[in-house]
Amino acid sequence: MTTHPDVATAAEPVPSPQPAPATSVPRPPRRTVRTASWYAVALLISSVMVLPILWMLTIALKGHSAVFQVPPRLLPDEFHFENFIDGPKAIHFPRLLLNSLVITSLSVMGGVMTSMMAGYALSRLRFPGRKVWFYVFVGSMMLPPVVGIIPLFQLFKDIGWYDTWLPLIVPAWLGGNPLFIFLARQYFLSVPYSIDEAAKVDGAGHVRIFFSVMLPITRPAWITMAILAFQFSWNDYLNPLIYLYSSEKWPLSVGMASFVSGFAGQTPDWNFYMAANLLYMLPPLAVFFVAQRYFIQGLSALGTVNQR
Amino acid sequence: MTATPDQQLHRPPHPPPHPPPRRPRRGRGKLTSDTRAAYMFMTPALVGFTVFVVYPLIRSAYFSLTQYNGLTTPTFVGLDNFRRMFTTDPSFWPSVRATLLLVVLYVPLSLVIGLLLAVFCNRRIRGVRMVRTLIYLPVVLPVVATITLWKFVFNPQVGLANQVLSWLHLPTSEWLSGSSSAIPSIVIVMLWSVGSTMIIFLAALQAVPTELYDAARIDGAGPRTVFFRITLPLISPIMVLQVVLQLVTALQTFNQPKILSPDGQGGPGFSTRVLMLSIYNHGFPTLGRVAEFGYASAQVWVLFLVIVVVIAATARFSSIWTYSDHAS
Repeated sequence: MTTHPDVATAAEPVPSPQPAPATSVPRPPRRTVRTASWYAVALLISSVMVLPILWMLTIALKGHSAVFQVPPRLLPDEFHFENFIDGPKAIHFPRLLLNSLVITSLSVMGGVMTSMMAGYALSRLRFPGRKVWFYVFVGSMMLPPVVGIIPLFQLFKDIGWYDTWLPLIVPAWLGGNPLFIFLARQYFLSVPYSIDEAAKVDGAGHVRIFFSVMLPITRPAWITMAILAFQFSWNDYLNPLIYLYSSEKWPLSVGMASFVSGFAGQTPDWNFYMAANLLYMLPPLAVFFVAQRYFIQGLSALGTVNQR
Repeated sequence: MTATPDQQLHRPPHPPPHPPPRRPRRGRGKLTSDTRAAYMFMTPALVGFTVFVVYPLIRSAYFSLTQYNGLTTPTFVGLDNFRRMFTTDPSFWPSVRATLLLVVLYVPLSLVIGLLLAVFCNRRIRGVRMVRTLIYLPVVLPVVATITLWKFVFNPQVGLANQVLSWLHLPTSEWLSGSSSAIPSIVIVMLWSVGSTMIIFLAALQAVPTELYDAARIDGAGPRTVFFRITLPLISPIMVLQVVLQLVTALQTFNQPKILSPDGQGGPGFSTRVLMLSIYNHGFPTLGRVAEFGYASAQVWVLFLVIVVVIAATARFSSIWTYSDHAS
């Protein structure tokens, strides 16, 4: 790829602050045809993406028997809004939700804090070995998680953490995700050194500089990380599945999956299930829409991580 | 050179910060305050690195050479686990087959569709942001939620998939309950989240300098020439990165086969028992069976070596595939 003066603005991904004034240029008719066909394709693509979700919504509103009507009908005859109350109750949704919230918020805090600390050390402190450690951390991004499954399971079991939330939370407090360390370091590198120097002149130590100077400046970086960490933890299925035996400790991912993959022993009422599933989707959706800007930036940063 | 992540993160392109004055390198006698602070700040990450990267790597290599059920002490058996895998285990080769089929279907499709969608969305047209958001939407939703939704979509009797097919007067399918249609169905579920690939390609496309397009147009190049001669070479580094990421992700697919297979074991038959699921089934078996940590670790190492080879091969060939503007 080439260097380009406005690469920063050009690479600034999807939601650009000002939409381009697409209508300002008078168009010849050929263009109108092309525009119309663009919209036709856009409509088709969008419906593929949205149709399953809309269908899910209609199932969530159907009565018990309507779900199993053959042939299925798109719209419910009567709307059962009470499914959104009864459904979650039937599958112990509130407890699963509470578990998920605790696990996720603790691991987000840990992941963000410890990655920012490591990123600070790697970017703003000069010490022998800092290059080496940087490559070590970046290199460990390449290690597939599957390698750790069995030894870590054994380790956590040996120290009595099986069937507790600790294996899901503590790793985040120990450096979390190497990717976050990388992102933190890259972001710290863009902060001018004169700021630290000024703080040092004022008598601040590293801890003070980190907490009172750096964290406020690097807000966009750790918000991105927090959003990503939230996603990872909220979505994580394999780890809670391995470590949590008691169903009252399950987070939403395992709880919801158990109702369809049969190991909870019963087929769910699909309308109840879909109503709960919609509620399960809401927090990430809300985060996405509130923090859309950061979110997509963070993800596109993932895409450019290894470019040099 | 190209957009660095800081630029992605919405930063104005700072001039590179001037590094603090160099200290003499061989200050062996006492630790500087920076060094002490640095290791203090890195302590959690260093502990994490040791416990979650170094330790498991060594330990699982050892497990793979033992017979071990997680309770008694491991007995060393040499390469017996690997011998069993390649010769006597009736489920190993089917699981390799399922994994490869999934990779072969998913990786090219997700790259091509992701790139096409990115090109499609890389236009300044009213509503394009809405379309991007909708394509990206499935990525935002929790994986388990989307997978379970699709499990119902694929229900042969009351599911949406067969309903849509019958509206279009197309033959219906058994989807997940057919042994030949199960993996393709899983690939469809995974492709629904192609927005993540698209967004990365889109970022790459938007980093292509527009003058190049203008110049090409002045030279009379058609859209196809522009795409293959300018766009594709310029985004080729991202392309390679995406190939690696997608291959590594696809090789480690677990959630979809686990949740979507009717028995949760990779059925029907062994049709969706991908390697990850095979590892899980041996390492963390359901009621009444004994955990085989040794055998599962051996499979972990087979999968790990495949991943290493894939990464190494891609890195090796990427210099040929990718365009670079550094004059050699």
